[in-house]
Amino acid sequence: MALILQALRYLVYVLVFPGFLFCFMTGLLLCGIDRKLVARMQKRVGPPILQPFYDFFKLCGKETIVPAAANRTVFLLAPLVGLAALVVIQLFIPVFRFSAFNSIADVIVILYLLLIPALSVIMGGAASGSPYAGVGLSREMVTILSCELPLLLVLLAIGKVVGTALGTGICFSLSKIVDYQMAHGSLLGKLSMIPAAVAFLLVIPGETGNHPFDAAEAETEICEGPLAEYSGAPLGVYKLSHAVKMLTMTSLFVALFLGGIGTGIENLMFQLGLSGGAAGAVAFLLEILVLFLLCAVLTFLTISVVHAVTARLRIEQLFKYYWTVVAGLALISLVLAWYGL
Amino acid sequence: MILFNYIASFFLIVLGLYCIVVKYNLVKTVIGLSILDYGVNLLIITIGFNPGGTAPIFTQGEITPASYFVDPIPQALTLTSIVIGACVTAMSLALVIKLEEQYGTIDTREIRRLRG
Amino acid sequence: MNMLSLQHFPIYSIMVLFLGAFLIVVFGRSKVVRHSVALLATCASMLFMMGLIKPVMLGGEIISYWMGARVPAGGYAIGIALEVDALSLFFGLLVSTVVFVACIYSIQYMSHDDNVPQYYTLFLMLAGGVMGMVLTGDLFNMFIMVEILTFAAVALTAFRNTVTGALEAAFKYLVVGSIGSTCILAGTIVLYAQMHTLNLGQLAALIPGNLTTSTKLAFALLFIGFCTKAFLVPFHPLAADAHGAAPASISVLISGVLTKSGIYGIIRLTYFLFQSMGLGTMQFWLVFLGSVSMFVCVTMALAQHDFKRLLAFHSISQIGYVLAAVGLSTALGISAGVYHAMNHTIFKGLLFLAAGAVLHETGTTDLGKLGGLSKKMPVTTVMFLVGAAAISGIPPFNGFASKWMIYQASYQKAVESNNIGFLAVTICALVTSTLTLASFVKVTQSVFFGQLPKEYENVKEVPFGMRLAMGILAALCIVTGLVPNYVTRFLTEPAAKAVYHVGAYINSAMGAGYAESVMQTVPVAAEPSFVQHGVWSPVSWLCLLMIALLALTVVATSAKYDKVSLGEATDTKYQLFYGGEKNFYSQVGSDDLFWGFKHNWRHYFSFMHELHSGVVNDYALWAVVALALATLYALVVL
Repeated sequence: MALILQALRYLVYVLVFPGFLFCFMTGLLLCGIDRKLVARMQKRVGPPILQPFYDFFKLCGKETIVPAAANRTVFLLAPLVGLAALVVIQLFIPVFRFSAFNSIADVIVILYLLLIPALSVIMGGAASGSPYAGVGLSREMVTILSCELPLLLVLLAIGKVVGTALGTGICFSLSKIVDYQMAHGSLLGKLSMIPAAVAFLLVIPGETGNHPFDAAEAETEICEGPLAEYSGAPLGVYKLSHAVKMLTMTSLFVALFLGGIGTGIENLMFQLGLSGGAAGAVAFLLEILVLFLLCAVLTFLTISVVHAVTARLRIEQLFKYYWTVVAGLALISLVLAWYGL
Repeated sequence: MILFNYIASFFLIVLGLYCIVVKYNLVKTVIGLSILDYGVNLLIITIGFNPGGTAPIFTQGEITPASYFVDPIPQALTLTSIVIGACVTAMSLALVIKLEEQYGTIDTREIRRLRG
Repeated sequence: MNMLSLQHFPIYSIMVLFLGAFLIVVFGRSKVVRHSVALLATCASMLFMMGLIKPVMLGGEIISYWMGARVPAGGYAIGIALEVDALSLFFGLLVSTVVFVACIYSIQYMSHDDNVPQYYTLFLMLAGGVMGMVLTGDLFNMFIMVEILTFAAVALTAFRNTVTGALEAAFKYLVVGSIGSTCILAGTIVLYAQMHTLNLGQLAALIPGNLTTSTKLAFALLFIGFCTKAFLVPFHPLAADAHGAAPASISVLISGVLTKSGIYGIIRLTYFLFQSMGLGTMQFWLVFLGSVSMFVCVTMALAQHDFKRLLAFHSISQIGYVLAAVGLSTALGISAGVYHAMNHTIFKGLLFLAAGAVLHETGTTDLGKLGGLSKKMPVTTVMFLVGAAAISGIPPFNGFASKWMIYQASYQKAVESNNIGFLAVTICALVTSTLTLASFVKVTQSVFFGQLPKEYENVKEVPFGMRLAMGILAALCIVTGLVPNYVTRFLTEPAAKAVYHVGAYINSAMGAGYAESVMQTVPVAAEPSFVQHGVWSPVSWLCLLMIALLALTVVATSAKYDKVSLGEATDTKYQLFYGGEKNFYSQVGSDDLFWGFKHNWRHYFSFMHELHSGVVNDYALWAVVALALATLYALVVL
C-alpha cells in the first residue's frame, strides 16, 4: 500500500507538479508574457497573453510532413526526447524547500542534462537533411559551446562558496545549495556571487536561444535553421520546449541565487499566526506563486528587455562575447570565491 | 677503459638521434635507428662488464661466492636487443622499398600526405 | 601443482594468444581453421582473465607466477615473474574483452583482403604483446612485450598498403616508436645497473631508498618510452596517422588497447617503482601533460575531415583525461582515471567499428564525401550515436559517469591542496568535453545525416558479425554507464586500491617480509577513501526520462503526432525546402561546420596545422625534445 502511494506520488510529481502540467502551463505563460512585453516596449499591441497556447494547439492539429530525404525515426523522436529531458531537469530543481527528487542529480549533471534539449534540436535538424538545418545546427552547437564555459564557471564558483561554508570543501548537490541559502540567506547577498549572478543572467537568453543570441534559428536568414523542415505537432513540441527552457533556466537561477527568499515566506506565514496542515499547503502554494513571479521578472529582465533593445549578433560575435565578457565575469566570481570573499 | 665505453655508447646514441632528426633520406633514417640501437647495446654490455671477470659459464655447484665473472644478464639482454634491432631494420627497409614504389622518392620532406 | 589452478591463468591467457598466432601461420590457409583458432584463442584468453576476477578483484589476492618455478633466492629475483594484482587484472580484462570483440568483427570485415592469415597472426601477436605487457612482473619482459606489440602494430598499420598513407604512417610510427622503445630499454638497463634486478617488485622495494641521478635519468627514459606507447602529446601525430591508415579492427586495438598499455606503464612506473604518490611535482607533471594532451588533441580533432583520423585525435584526448585523473594521486582520481580508461576502450572501440562499417560499405572515410547514410545503415547509425553520446559525456552513458568523477576529483584536489592550478584542469576537462560533443555532431551530420550522395544509393547494412561486435560494445557502453556504483566497487576501486598497496605487491613477488626488511618506510596502505561530492543516479534518471517520454508519446499520439503523411520526393510537398532554388545536392561541408568557433580561434588552428607538418624528422625532433625536457625535469625537480 505504501509502495503504491509512493509510486502514485512520483507519478504526480512527473505529470503534474513540478513535471509536465506545471512546465507546460508556466512555460507557455512566460512565453506569452514575454511576447506581450516586447510588443509593448516596441509600441505594438502584441498578441494576447494566451497566444502561445493557441499556437501550440493549432500546430498539434496540423498535418505533420516528413521530408522524403529525412530519417523518419530520429526526425519524429528528437523533439519528444528534448522535451522529456527538460521536464526531468525541472524535477531536480528545488522550489525553495520542496524538491521532488533531490538525491538523483547534482549541478554538474544538470549542466550536462541541459545539453540534451539542444542536442535534440541538432539531431532533429540533421535528420531532416535540409541544408538550412545544416547551417543552423552548426550555429546551435557553437551557441552551446559559448554558453557552456560561463555556465560551468558559475557552477564551480557556487560549489566552492557553499562547500567552504558547509566545511566539505566543495558541494555540487543542488538541494544542499538551496538548504544552505534557506539557513544563511541568498547567495546573491555575497560579494563574490554578484558577478556570477550577472553572468548567469546573461547566459539565460543564450541557452534559450532568444534574441540577440538566436543566430541558430535566425528566421530571416536561414528559415529557423534546424526547424526549417518541421511542421505540425513536432514543431509544436519544439516551440513548447523553447518555452519550458525559459522556465528551467529562470527557476535554476532562483534555486541557485535566490533560495533564501523561501525563508522569508516561512517567516511571513509565522508572523501572520498561521500554522498547521492547511497553512503548510497555503505556504506551499505561496512559494509556487513567488517562484512564478520571480521567473516572470527574470524573463522580463533577461529575455524581453534584451530582445527589445538589441539586434541579432553574428555567430562568431556571439561566441566571442560569451567567452570574453560573460566568462570573464564568471571567472572574477570564481577567483573571488576561491579567496573566500 | 670502461669510461671510454660509456662515452662511446653515449656518442653513438646521440649520433643516432642526430641522424634521425637531421637527415631527410629514409635510408639514412634507418641507419640512424641502427646506430641508436648499437649505442644502447654497447651501454648494456658495458654495464654488465666486470674488469678481469671470467665468462659466466658454470654448472650447478661449481659456483661459489668467490667466483668472479661478468654479469650474464646484460649479455642475455643484449642478444634480445640485437635481434629486435635487426627486425626493426628489416621492417623499416621493407617499408622504405614500398614507399619508394608508391611515392617515387625517399625524401622525408616529400612523404607527408598525412599532415595537419 | 594442479595445471588448472588459478596460479597458471595469467600465463595461459598470454600463451593461448601466441600459440594461436603460431598455429595460424602453419594451418591458416583454411578459412575455417584460422577463424576458429583466432576466436578460440581470444575467447580463451578472456575467460582465463575472467576466472581471476573473484580472487584478485574481490579477494584482494596478488598472483605471482614464476616461469619454470624459479622463485627468488637470497633476496634476489633471478627468474621471470608474472605478477597479477587488481591493476594488472583490470587492464588485462579490458584488453582481452576488446580483443575478442575486434576478432569477431574482423571475420567479416577482413573478408575482402589478401593475406588474411598474416593479418590474424599479427593481430594475435599484438593482443599477446599487450597482455604480456600488463601482466608481467619483470621490467625487461615488459620491454620485449612492448617491442612485440609495437612491431605488430606497425606491420598492421601498413597491412592495407594500397591505402593512401598506410606505408607512410607505418614508417613514422616505426621511427618514433623505436625511439620510444629504445628509451624503455635504456631506462631498464640504467635501473639494472643501479639495482641489479629487473623484477618490478624488487625494484619497487629498492628504488625509493636509492634515488640517485642515474635512477632519475632512468625515470625520464622510461617515462618518455611509455608516453610514446600511449601517444601522449607530443607523440599524438603518430596515432592519428596510424589509426587513419590501419584497418578499423586494428584501430580499435591501437586506440583501445595499445594506448592503455602506455597508461599502465606510466602508472606502474610512477606509483609503483618510484612511489611518487605524494610528490607535488610529479602530480603537476602528469596532470599538466594530461591536460595539454586532452585539449590540444580535441582541437586537432575538430579540424579533421577524415572520420578515422578524427577519432584518432579524440583517442589521445581521452587518454589525456585518464592521465590527468590518475595524476591527481587521490583515491577518487585514480579510480576515475581507470574508469575512464575502461570506458574509453569501450566507446572508442565502438566508434572505430562504426567507422570501419562505413568504410567497409562505402570505401571511404572522407567526411566531405559521405552523408545521409542513416537511411541505408540504420543499425550502424544507432551504434555510432551510442558511442558518440558516450564519448561526449551525455548522461546516462558510461562516458558521463567517469567524466563526472574526474571533475569531482580534480575540483576536490584543487580545494584540498588549495592550488588554483587544479581548478584549471576541471575547467579544461569540461570545455574539452563540449568540444568533443561538437566534433561528434560534425561527424553525425556529415556521415549519417544530411543528404545521401548519388554514388551511395546502393549501400547496404553491414553483415551480422560486424553488427554483433558493435552491439556487444554498445551494450557495454550502456551497462557500465547505468551502474557506476557496481563498476567502481568491483572493478575500479580494487584497481585504485592496488595502486596504494605497493608493499603487498613487493611482498607477493619477493616473499613475505621482504618489503619491511629492505625499505625504511613501507608505504602503508592507508585505506583510500572514495568521497564523492555530488549525486548521480543514472537508473532513477533513466526511469524518470522513460516515464516522461512515455507520457509525452501518449499525448503526442492523441494529438495526431504520428499521423504523418509519407510520400515520394516527386511530390513537391515532401521535397526539402531550398528557398525557391532548384533542387540540388547541397550538403553543408564538414569543414564549414562550427565556423563561428573556428573563426575566433583561426590563429591557433593555422598554427597547429603548420606545426603538424607530417615530416618524420619533425616528429622525431619532438620526441628528442620531449626526452630532453623530461630528463631535465626529472634531474632538477624530482
